Amino acid sequence: MKKAGNIRILIYTAAFPVLLLSLLIGPSENISLHDGVQWLLNMISGNDTDTFIQTIILQVRLPRVLTAFLVGGALSISGNSLQAIFRNPLVSPYILGLSNGAAFGAALALATGLLPLQLSAFIFGLIAVIISYLAARKHKEVSIVSLILSGIIVTGIFTALLTIVQFLSDPFKLQSIVHWTMGNLQNSGWQSLTSMLIPLFAGVILLLSMRWKMNVYALGDEEAKTSGLNPEWGKILILIAASLASSSAVAVAGVIGLYGLIVPHIVRMLSGPDNLHSTPLNFVFGGTFLLIIDDFSRTISSFEIPIGVITMLLGAPFFLFLMKKNKIGWEN
Amino acid sequence: MGELKNIIQVQDFSFAYEERLVLKNITLELKPSCFHVILGQNGSGKSTLLRSMAGMLPVQKQKIFIASHDITEMPLKTRAKTFGLLSQKHKAVFPFSVEDVVMTGRAAFISFVPKEKDRLIVHQTLEKTGILHLKDRCYTELSGGEQQLAMIARVLAQQAPLLFLDEPTTHLDFYNQEKVLSLIKNLTQEGLSVVAVLHDPSMAFLFGDHFIFLKNGRLVNVPEGKMPWDADFLENIYEMKLEAIPHAKRALIVPSNSGK
Repeated sequence: MKKAGNIRILIYTAAFPVLLLSLLIGPSENISLHDGVQWLLNMISGNDTDTFIQTIILQVRLPRVLTAFLVGGALSISGNSLQAIFRNPLVSPYILGLSNGAAFGAALALATGLLPLQLSAFIFGLIAVIISYLAARKHKEVSIVSLILSGIIVTGIFTALLTIVQFLSDPFKLQSIVHWTMGNLQNSGWQSLTSMLIPLFAGVILLLSMRWKMNVYALGDEEAKTSGLNPEWGKILILIAASLASSSAVAVAGVIGLYGLIVPHIVRMLSGPDNLHSTPLNFVFGGTFLLIIDDFSRTISSFEIPIGVITMLLGAPFFLFLMKKNKIGWEN
Repeated sequence: MGELKNIIQVQDFSFAYEERLVLKNITLELKPSCFHVILGQNGSGKSTLLRSMAGMLPVQKQKIFIASHDITEMPLKTRAKTFGLLSQKHKAVFPFSVEDVVMTGRAAFISFVPKEKDRLIVHQTLEKTGILHLKDRCYTELSGGEQQLAMIARVLAQQAPLLFLDEPTTHLDFYNQEKVLSLIKNLTQEGLSVVAVLHDPSMAFLFGDHFIFLKNGRLVNVPEGKMPWDADFLENIYEMKLEAIPHAKRALIVPSNSGK
């Protein structure tokens, strides 16, 4: 137990230096790491700073770094909460169709302007996850496999609907929609960052406030009920909170597939399954880890690999490994 | 709760699953601080009766009263503070520690996160159930008996004066059956009221105080001048030939055909 405590402290304290370091690295050939450090030292000591470097760091990198952190944190904390309330270690916003529902909602908003972007993403994300859940429910029970299957179907439906939106969009909008659906942080700026802050933090704070109760829901409906909690209401509240957090992330960064599945498992391995500790830890670790992945995708080659592609390639084998390890049969 | 004459009152209660009537006109009064055991064949309505009294099934008004309150009018939190239910075999998904599992029994008292008082109560409960040494172990890695003790500790952490136990010994070996039942017996001697469904009449007579018999959804009273452990009475309940072997003022029940 002491070891888990140390790991937690390490994860919390590592977040800040990673954030700082991420500001100083990037693809821009004009600013070396040395320049970045120099700028930082000048900033701290109050000396004059290079305005070009300052603009790059404050207007380009800072919003991107913060966006990566918040998106990663939101997807992870939502993934962890969804796993707890569905009592299913194999679900995430992506698996349940939430991400693609939100992506459709966001694309619809971009293409038509009928609803505000964030609201549209949230509504369709929530609709998607509710359909997945109700479709998998049979005799008041939801098996692990049937929830994944219905999630696949719902994901398929919303992907198809998204394609229709793309067809009907004009070529200029189309390119940005396609680019964004792949899961991308390239276009993040202060404007997109501020647009997601309120729904994202509303969701995250709600999830944090209910973090211990997730332990009760994770034990089962009957166990929750007999110890005085209404499982239906609690789950609906957590579902809304998780949809708020992850759909606002999707609205800004597109579909970052399987990320919300991987991180909760890593956190559980490091610090145990108690949601009291793992909920805030998922946010911080999920944020830091996505930031590191994004740092690589920004610097590793001259062109940028969409981050959703990287998480998908990392996540798919991980998912298969979990399926084997959990010995998931068709009946449970 | 000490002054209450009856901790549970059931008045002319019937229950149907879809069209099938499972319980018929049950009227019962159960005293506090006793170990009540519900006995009967499979399908006689034992679990349905227990789960109705524990508020897990939709029940009509004015039928079931717990500590003089109509169960249908008790909010979930009040119920949790008045009684606990140990369900049949629990299926765990996440490898929570035993301490975390037992802590969930405190849900009615915790608004956001557990406080020091809750940790203390969990600690005492683990001690009382004799599984303090398992506190940091994963629930999923425990043996069946240890898991059952952990779930009992979870219900006890609720600190309710009444417990409902649905087949608490079914998946346990002989050693653990004794362990669980004598724990329950001790708790009732400390003032707790317990209603349990048990399958084995011998175990019931060894540990229980009061016995409720169900047959085809109806309550069967022990006839005047008979004892609950009398062979001819139990033969009617279980619809089989059996023998009552006198033991400690009561009897052990064995099938007549055994060993022949």
